Amino acid sequence: MVRIDVLWRTAARRAVMAICAAALALPAAAQTTITYSDWQLAQEGWGKSLRAAIAEFEKENPDIKVKAEPVPLGQRDVRFSTAIRAGEGPDVFALDTNPIRQYVAEGWVRDLAPFITAAGGRTFLADFYPNSLVPVTVDGKVYGIPMNTVAMALVYNKKLFDEVGIAAPPKTWDEFREVSKKLTRSSTGSGPVDRWAFTVVLAPAGFDLRVSSIFRAFGADFLTPDWKRSALDTPEAKAAFNFIIDMIVVDKTIPPGVSQVDANGARRMLANQQIAMKIGTTWSFPEVSAMNPQLDGLNVLKIAPMPQQPGSKNPIHTTLYQKSLFINKNAKNPEAAWKLIKFLTDRPQMERWFDDNAMLSSRRSVNESYSKIKQSVPASVVANEIQYGAFLPLIPQWPQVLEVIRQNLQAAVAGSKTREQALADANKEVNVILERK
Amino acid sequence: MIGERYTGWWFVGPAGLVMALILGFPAIAAVLGSVNLGWGSTKPFGIDSYLRLWGDAEFRQSLWNTAIFVVSVVSLHFLLGMSVALLLDRPLRMRWLFRVIAILPWTMPDVIGGIIFRFIFDTLYGGINALGLAIGWIDQPVDWLGRPGLALLSVILAEAWRGYPYVMLILLAGLQAVPREQYEAAKMDGAGAWQTFVYVTLPNLRTMIVIALVLDTVWECRLFGMIFGMTGGGPGQATQNLTLLVYRHYFQFFDTAYASSIAVVLAAILLVAAMPYLRVAIRRAE
Repeated sequence: MVRIDVLWRTAARRAVMAICAAALALPAAAQTTITYSDWQLAQEGWGKSLRAAIAEFEKENPDIKVKAEPVPLGQRDVRFSTAIRAGEGPDVFALDTNPIRQYVAEGWVRDLAPFITAAGGRTFLADFYPNSLVPVTVDGKVYGIPMNTVAMALVYNKKLFDEVGIAAPPKTWDEFREVSKKLTRSSTGSGPVDRWAFTVVLAPAGFDLRVSSIFRAFGADFLTPDWKRSALDTPEAKAAFNFIIDMIVVDKTIPPGVSQVDANGARRMLANQQIAMKIGTTWSFPEVSAMNPQLDGLNVLKIAPMPQQPGSKNPIHTTLYQKSLFINKNAKNPEAAWKLIKFLTDRPQMERWFDDNAMLSSRRSVNESYSKIKQSVPASVVANEIQYGAFLPLIPQWPQVLEVIRQNLQAAVAGSKTREQALADANKEVNVILERK
Repeated sequence: MIGERYTGWWFVGPAGLVMALILGFPAIAAVLGSVNLGWGSTKPFGIDSYLRLWGDAEFRQSLWNTAIFVVSVVSLHFLLGMSVALLLDRPLRMRWLFRVIAILPWTMPDVIGGIIFRFIFDTLYGGINALGLAIGWIDQPVDWLGRPGLALLSVILAEAWRGYPYVMLILLAGLQAVPREQYEAAKMDGAGAWQTFVYVTLPNLRTMIVIALVLDTVWECRLFGMIFGMTGGGPGQATQNLTLLVYRHYFQFFDTAYASSIAVVLAAILLVAAMPYLRVAIRRAE
């Protein structure tokens, strides 16, 4: 009887302890849900690898659930700004460099100092390219973690070059113009022109990186190095501006309807062999190949540094693109949000971005030691160009400055303004914007 | 007695409060925002945004574009709407089917319409150029959306097609309310079709025409999706209207005060444009 009583009491005690343990464990096991928004979630290839990374993160962190929120690039700022102003918005989100200063100025993103300090401080940041930290740092405070950094370059179709007997990509803009005339022709030899040399992006999506790269490769820039004045009144800027208009209006080596061409339109033209060259970077290879598998893009497409203007003294001759991750000021679980950012920017995921999307890392160690990057010719060309590249101006007025330049270039191409008037107007309007408090 | 006197207000109150919140709050927020008194504004109170409007060439261009666009589109809507309404008012076999077909353009969301028309007017792949080349009307593709005049014309034509059923439906409702005896009397007096239209149909439709034109003007002044989808306001600023300018400043440049001041000016213009409608509505209520 005693034995049964003891057993019974032991069992009862254990049951009570188990219930207490379960009750205590309950809050720990409760899942935190955070939201992650990224325009690349809306793209097929990128979306796939981002979702795979998120699944891996959730497996490693069973207490955190990540809700992916794709957003089209064109609607990104509309959605984010509306949601954040209303006290909502995704916990973690991705931005390119253009709007970062506006988000910081509006106080929409968190200072990551406490998290970075906990992660190792300077040691943690040391692996990132120093210039990759510039766009995400304001007054010494780091607001975002860089994910991918690439330089813009000239992507071309080697097969179309071979067909007209051009052995190598143009190294100067004069060569570029001559080569373009040869590449613009009828595919049948006698019909109307259906193959052009190149296209420039004059629609908003993609204008910034591509047209600024042309300007910089001419030794010009949109703004002075201190970003306080317009630099559109320099002879180099005039040469770049006129070059684009001449290609469209005089040489007609750019397909008609160029005002409507955005970055994706240019990719589609390259995929369909309507053009032989465009400004792009490593991401052009998988994206163009996916648009037309028959092109055999991974073999036919090649990449070269931007053509140069002989005698240019400007060490910068291309534009850098960077995607970085940020924590919303309204995030209710910033610790979980930081964990996700850290995971997505750690080495294994950086290697995944290259494997899946040919994107270079913002971590120097990954670009310099990952064997697949080292063996890839396009990746080597682009990685080498990073040192000659610069980001677009990091000022809150930048989107407005950019729009003024784009609209005036479009007006010159459309003929509603003379090219001299358009450039002078752009120069004047940019200065007015920069002088405004 | 006093309690009874105010009982009605208790019934009207909740609805009035909801109306005030829904309609009044955004309007007040826009006015406050335009003078830097919006929530989250860090700038001091001031009317700088309105002063800036005065000297802004882009604002003037957008205002001019809005005027040309609205006058052209509303005129085309009236002509098309009246013509189709007169046709559909006649005794036709399967009239219901024609009526359904006639209102189909109205069912298309304007952003979708804009994207579709962008493809139709595309220089390289567009249907208009393909047709023009096939029938020999043009010998090389026309850059419809890349030339300022043509781009504005293309947007006007596209919106004329998409929006005419709204005017047509109002006019058709008016036509059906015209007393048939008046037509019979006109016929007995020997009036022809044109005379009947001028002296019987139009006078009877006067109120409906005012309502249709005013509401359509207000709608077209606020139009965003069709223009945004087709041209994004370009080339240059050739097709940019005031609504697009508000969007740019609010969502692209995060300049709340300036965007709000443009919105307030637009609202004031719309209020003036809506006066004839208000007069009709007040007269009817009386």
